[in-house]
Amino acid sequence: MKFRAKIIDVGCLNHFTRVVNTVSRLTKACVLRLTCDHLYFVLSGRVATGGVSMWCELSQVNFFDEFQLEGVSADANEIFLEVAPENFSRALKTAQNAKSVKIKLTKKTCPCLTLAAELPSLSSVSRVVTHDIPVDVIPRRLWHDFREPQMPDFDVSIYLPPLKTMKSVVDRMKNLSNYLVLEANLNGEMNLKIETDLVSVTTHFKELGNPPWGDDGSQSSSPTHRDPDLMAEARVDIKKLQQFLMGQQVNPSKAMCNIVHRRILHLIFLHEDVSLQYFIPAVV
Amino acid sequence: MKCVIEGNGVKVFGKAVHALSRIGNEIWLDPQEKGLAVRTVNSSQSAYACFCFTPLFFQQYIPDPDIQNGCEAVKCMLNMKCVLPLFRCASWKERRVDRCEISVNIPNSRVIFQFHCRHGITKTYNLGYQECEALQAVFPAHLCPNVLMAQSKLLGDIVVHFPVSQEEVTLSISSFKVTLKTFCEEENNCIKGMNTELMLHPDEFDYFQVGEDSAVTFCLKELRGLLSFAEPYGLPVNCQFGVAGQPVSFTVKDMTLEAHVVLSTLTDPNHESPSQPAPGDDCPVNVTNTSTAEITTCESLWRQRKMIQLHAPGEILPKLSLIPESALTTPVTPATSKIRSLLFGAVYSDGGKDKTADLPSLACASDTEDDGGTEE
Repeated sequence: MKFRAKIIDVGCLNHFTRVVNTVSRLTKACVLRLTCDHLYFVLSGRVATGGVSMWCELSQVNFFDEFQLEGVSADANEIFLEVAPENFSRALKTAQNAKSVKIKLTKKTCPCLTLAAELPSLSSVSRVVTHDIPVDVIPRRLWHDFREPQMPDFDVSIYLPPLKTMKSVVDRMKNLSNYLVLEANLNGEMNLKIETDLVSVTTHFKELGNPPWGDDGSQSSSPTHRDPDLMAEARVDIKKLQQFLMGQQVNPSKAMCNIVHRRILHLIFLHEDVSLQYFIPAVV
Repeated sequence: MKCVIEGNGVKVFGKAVHALSRIGNEIWLDPQEKGLAVRTVNSSQSAYACFCFTPLFFQQYIPDPDIQNGCEAVKCMLNMKCVLPLFRCASWKERRVDRCEISVNIPNSRVIFQFHCRHGITKTYNLGYQECEALQAVFPAHLCPNVLMAQSKLLGDIVVHFPVSQEEVTLSISSFKVTLKTFCEEENNCIKGMNTELMLHPDEFDYFQVGEDSAVTFCLKELRGLLSFAEPYGLPVNCQFGVAGQPVSFTVKDMTLEAHVVLSTLTDPNHESPSQPAPGDDCPVNVTNTSTAEITTCESLWRQRKMIQLHAPGEILPKLSLIPESALTTPVTPATSKIRSLLFGAVYSDGGKDKTADLPSLACASDTEDDGGTEE
């Protein structure tokens, strides 16, 4: 198994760092899946995480100047590593003005992702800072746990309101209740609701727009159109939604959510060449 | 003792107190002819810091009003927790201190800090002190084979790569490079945490002297205080050290003050010369380092942190002498991978070439006799 990659463009480096920072805010540990064309940060829904799953996909060619991968075997030319994104984030943090950043898979006392940054220095010889990030190699037999999640058979798909607004609404609602209901319809209307013994609060958003998914079979199997005013809802743990919104460092170019009525909230953020999907299970 | 510090100087003095607070819990004031020495040492005596403010720093400096009678200025020890709040930087803007007077009231055993602030407000703090002997580290600077001098900004840029929680780092020097890397005692710990290493070329330093290739491991946390003090003033930092086990010193100098931080370093069990007799050492032969704390559990090669040799002229400091002999035999559990020696006046060895008694003390020389109080 071998992996070497190099970033030399400072814009790519900053962008990559922002993605890693976002991931590090969402989870303490995740799986980094490396293929010849992509990098994926994967969190598969487990009880331990409250069933939340995450899938973040980057196209390597948009970030790396050099990218060489030799996977587990010829027919399985991929590498799966368990890593703490916070370590990755920390290593990248102080390398933002580096001339180049090399990442490679190494074996020190344990398998590591070694990040070596060449920094500007006062002498003719560059300063080199090396960070060894410990990782766990995930054996092939467990790879199926980290497959790309299927697009759920959603009932409603809608664009999200401006993140800043949504975040401030959710932040305030968090003070009042542990659970929040997100409901939306195909008429571009979305409501965020909380209800407690003492108070119930609803924030209404209109004219958000619905993404045109078309006939790619991902819509509900019934051929009849869904009543555009009919709301699909999901009641979720408000902290999980807040955590997701807080983690975003950049405004995505597209932000939408798919709702499977009373089952799952599927949030999708697209920004340039990075896609981030986050699944929050609904609670009763 | 009485001294007056004007406006900007109060800020500097406050920053010095902050830097000292990163190391120890007590603060020693020692008014001398050549300046006011403000010192601290940490509880395990593995880190020492001293800020010596020359008379130029003060608007007025009287070490002792009674100096004609040959009285020595009184030396005081104060609790850091009492002194630090007086210099909280956060309220600088509101405070706008015009000047600060520090004086010692001997009959009441009080150190008086009086802040004259804007709008005619005066704040007076009377802090109780404990009289004691001065505390100095014995550090033979001239014997250090390795010397580095760098702008504090360079050092700041170097330490920023290490997490604030990182305790120990190893500084290695050879003729073609200088490396700073995280240190972890046990293999197991390394697996959990990240290892960081920074490599620099000797050209980056304003002064570079390597007498002996070496690698010294010290506590980075304790150095950060000095670096945060020096960086805003753009002062260069001088670093002197020898081989593993010998203390490393960092010095910042200016016309008005001189700051030293001396940190003990971990010994290297493989290379330690067994020149000192081990007091009741019942360790297996593997562990050759014998000159500091006794070890009662020796499953692996424990690295030890040698004490900074502290020299108190005359009697032993009342506080430190309270360390019971039995502390030397405190068993070290595997969890405490660093052993702090509590042996006051541990003999400092550099291969037995020089007798420790002849070593001059650190810059702030006491005016009493150096009577070899280092031997115990």
